Amino acid sequence: MKKNIMVLFVALAIFAGCITTVQAKEFPTKPIKLIVYTKPGGAIDVFARKFTAIAAKYTDATFVVVNKSGAGGIVAIKYILSQKPDGYKFAAVTKSNIGKIVSTGGKINVDDINWMGMMMTDPEAVITNVNQDVVTWEQLVADAKAKDGKQIWVGPAAGGNDHIMALKTWKAAGIKAKWIPYSGGGKAMAALLGGHGVAYVGNPRDVIGRPDLKVAAVSSEKRLSGAFADVPTFAELGVKGLDHEIMWRGFMTRKGIPAEAEAFYSDLLTKMTNDPEWKEYIEKGGATPLLIQSDAFTAIVKKDQREFTTALKELGVIK
Amino acid sequence: MELLDSFSIGLSVLLGWKPILVIVVGVIVGILAGAMPGLSPSTAVALLVPFSYTMEPALALILLTSIYIASNYGGSITAVLINTPGTPSAAVTAMDGYPLTQKGQAGKALGTALLASTVGGAIGVMILILFAVPLARVALKFSPADYFALALFGLATVASMSRGNVLKSMVAILFGLMIKNIGIDPISGVSRFTFGSDQLYDGFTLIPALIGLFAVSVVFAKMESWTGIPRVLEKVDNKLPSFKEMMKIKMTILRSSVIGTVIGIFPGAGATIAAFISYDVSKRWSKTPEEFGKGSLEGVAAAEGANSSSVGGALVPLLALGIPGSATDAVLLGAFMLHDLVPGPLLFKNNPDIVYGIFSALILANMIMLILGVYGNRLFIKVVSVPEAIMYPLILAIAVIGSFAVSGSMFDVAACIGFGVIGWLFKRYGFPVAPIVLGIVLGKMVEENFRRAVMMDGYSVFYTDKLAFVVLLISFLSFVWPLYKGWKHHQSVNRSKVKSQHN
Repeated sequence: MKKNIMVLFVALAIFAGCITTVQAKEFPTKPIKLIVYTKPGGAIDVFARKFTAIAAKYTDATFVVVNKSGAGGIVAIKYILSQKPDGYKFAAVTKSNIGKIVSTGGKINVDDINWMGMMMTDPEAVITNVNQDVVTWEQLVADAKAKDGKQIWVGPAAGGNDHIMALKTWKAAGIKAKWIPYSGGGKAMAALLGGHGVAYVGNPRDVIGRPDLKVAAVSSEKRLSGAFADVPTFAELGVKGLDHEIMWRGFMTRKGIPAEAEAFYSDLLTKMTNDPEWKEYIEKGGATPLLIQSDAFTAIVKKDQREFTTALKELGVIK
Repeated sequence: MELLDSFSIGLSVLLGWKPILVIVVGVIVGILAGAMPGLSPSTAVALLVPFSYTMEPALALILLTSIYIASNYGGSITAVLINTPGTPSAAVTAMDGYPLTQKGQAGKALGTALLASTVGGAIGVMILILFAVPLARVALKFSPADYFALALFGLATVASMSRGNVLKSMVAILFGLMIKNIGIDPISGVSRFTFGSDQLYDGFTLIPALIGLFAVSVVFAKMESWTGIPRVLEKVDNKLPSFKEMMKIKMTILRSSVIGTVIGIFPGAGATIAAFISYDVSKRWSKTPEEFGKGSLEGVAAAEGANSSSVGGALVPLLALGIPGSATDAVLLGAFMLHDLVPGPLLFKNNPDIVYGIFSALILANMIMLILGVYGNRLFIKVVSVPEAIMYPLILAIAVIGSFAVSGSMFDVAACIGFGVIGWLFKRYGFPVAPIVLGIVLGKMVEENFRRAVMMDGYSVFYTDKLAFVVLLISFLSFVWPLYKGWKHHQSVNRSKVKSQHN
C-alpha cells in the first residue's frame, strides 16, 4: 500500500514537473499591451477594443489597450520597435500608417516589423449627397465633364489613402476634379452634407446612420452584401483597374518574438477570424473579415509602400 | 407634444439609483479632471471610454456627457485660484478670475464661474433639445470662406483684449500663429519646420503650451522675485457673489450662453474660441469695460457662460448628423460606435431612449453641478491659503504631470517648460500671454479655411460670399475701433497735458 502511494507520488511529481516545464514555455504569463496609434475613440481604437473583448472568449490572457498617439502612427510603431522582443507588446495598424512611414521620410524599415496579421479589408467608396443633383456615378462623371476640372471632391488629409484613391479614380474614369482636404473624415463629410463638394472618398461604413449620404461606387471585385447590395462596383460601371482598392486593418509587433508567442498570436488570430461576433462587427460596416499572415501580409505592405512612394512624389509631398 | 413623449422616455431612463449615481460620478470626475491642468474635456472623456465599455449604452453615454459638461466648469477652478487654466477655454477665465483672487475675492470669482457655467450649460442644452436638427442644417451651409471670416473675427478680439499696448498684444498673437505653423501642412500634407523630428510632426500640443505659458511662467517669475519672507495672508473672502451682483451680470451670462452655443455648433470652432469671442463682446457691451482684465465679474461670467454653453452647441452636429463638432465629440462618437450605435438622424428614430436619456441627464447634470459646486468651492478655496513655499513647487509638479498626461510623452514636458520660459520672458517685458493662446487655437482654422476657400473659388470668394464679406467687415471694424478710440483718448490726454503745462 505504502509502495503504491510512493509510486503515485513519484508519478505526480513527474507529471507536475512536466507541467512546470510546459509552463515555462507558455505564453502569455503576464498582461499583453495592445498599442493603438490614436487617442481613444477613433475607428482603430474601437477595432482594438472590440478585438480584446471578443478575444476573451478564446484566451485567459489579459489585454491592456494603450493609446500612444502622434505623427499618424509613427510614434506607436517606433515605440514597438524600441521594446524588448518578448511578444508582450503588439500594435494595431492600418494602411494609412504605411503612407505615414513613406511621408515621414522612410526612417522605419518595414523589414524590422513582424506583420502578424491583416484582419479586415474595407473597400474604398465614392460617396455622394442624395440632396444634391449629383448622386449616381454617371451623374458624377457628367457633372465633372461639364465643370471641366472645377468639380469639388472632399476628404481627409492630403496624401492619405482616400486622396490617392480619388486621384486613381479620376485617372481611370478620365475626369478632372479638385481635391479639398479637411482635417479628418467627419469634417469632410460635413462639407459634403453642406453641399460644398459633390463627392467624398471614404469607406462604405461612413454612410451608416447618415441617410443623406449614399455610396455611388465601390472598389471591390464583387458587390457588397447587406445594406450595400444595390451599390455598383467600379467594374460594373465600366471603370477599369479599381477592383481592389482597400483600406486594411491588422496587427504588428517587432521581429524576433519567441516561437511560443508567435504560435499564440497565430492561433488567436485564426480563432478570431472565424468568430461569428467578430465577423458580424466587421461585415456590418461593409468590410470583409479575413486573415493574411506574415509573408503574404509583408508583401502587401511593400506593395503599398511602393504605391505611396510614387503617389506622394507625384503630389510633391516627398522628394 | 411629440417632444414631451420623447422626454417621458428619456426620463424613464433616469429612474432608479444607478443613473443618478452615474451622473453624480460623471459630474465629480468632470469637475476634478477639468480642474487638473493637462486633462482637457476630451482627454477626461477619453480616459473613461474604456471604463464605460461594459456599461449599458444609455448609462455609458450619460456618464461621458456628464463629464463633458462638468469639465468645462472644473477648468475655471484652477484658472481662478492659481492662474493655471485647467482646460484651454479657461485661459479666458483666468484673465479676470485670477486678479479677483489676488484682491482676496476668490469666492466671488468661483461663485460667478459656477453660476455662469450652470446657466450657460443649461441654455446650451435647451437650445440643443429644441433646435438640434434645423441648427445643424444651417451650420453645414457655412462655406470655408465663412469659417475663415469667423476665425478672423476671433483673431480681431485681440484688440479689445489688450490693456494698454496693442502692439505688444499683436506681437504675442503673431508668435502664437507662428507656433501653429510648425507641423504638418493641413492642406498639402508636407511637414513644416519639424527638422525631421517625429514629435514636431503634429506641431506643439496645445495643453502643455498652455500650462507652460500660464502656470510655469508664474513659477519662474516667483523664483526671480523670491524673498523668502512668508506672504502675509490677507483675509480670503469665500463669500459667494451677492444677489445684487448676480443680477448685474445676468445679461452677460445670457448673452454669453447664446454666443457660446452658437459658436459651439460650428464643427471645429469650440469652447476656447467661444470664450474669447464672448469676452470680447461682453467687454464692448459692458458699462465698465475698464474693469476687464483687472478682476471683472462680468469677464469671468462671459468666459464661463460661453465655454459651458458651447457643450450643448457642440453636441448639435454630433447628435443630429453624426458629425463631431469638437475634439470631445470625436471621442464621444467612438463611444457610440463601441456600443454599436451611430449618432445621427436615425438614432432619434431608433433609440429615442438614448437621445432623450442624454438630454434629460444633461439637464440633471447641470443641477447636480450647481449643488456640488457650491459645497466644492468652500473646499477648493483653501488652495489660496497654502503657503507660497509649498504652492509654487506644487504648481510646477502639477504642470509636469499634466503635460505628461496628455499623451505620455516627455517631449511635451520639455515643451511645457520651454513655453514656461517664453511666458516668463513675455510677462517680464510687459507682453500679454493670452493672445498667444488665441493665435495657437485659431491659427489652424484661419489658414486651413483661407486656403480651402481659395482652392474652391479663388480670391474673389471673400466679396462674392455675402456672409463672409459682412463678417470680414465686422472683424476689421472691431479691430480698428478700439485702436481708434485708444488713439483719440491718448490725443485728448496729451492735449490736456499740453494745456495744463501752458497754464
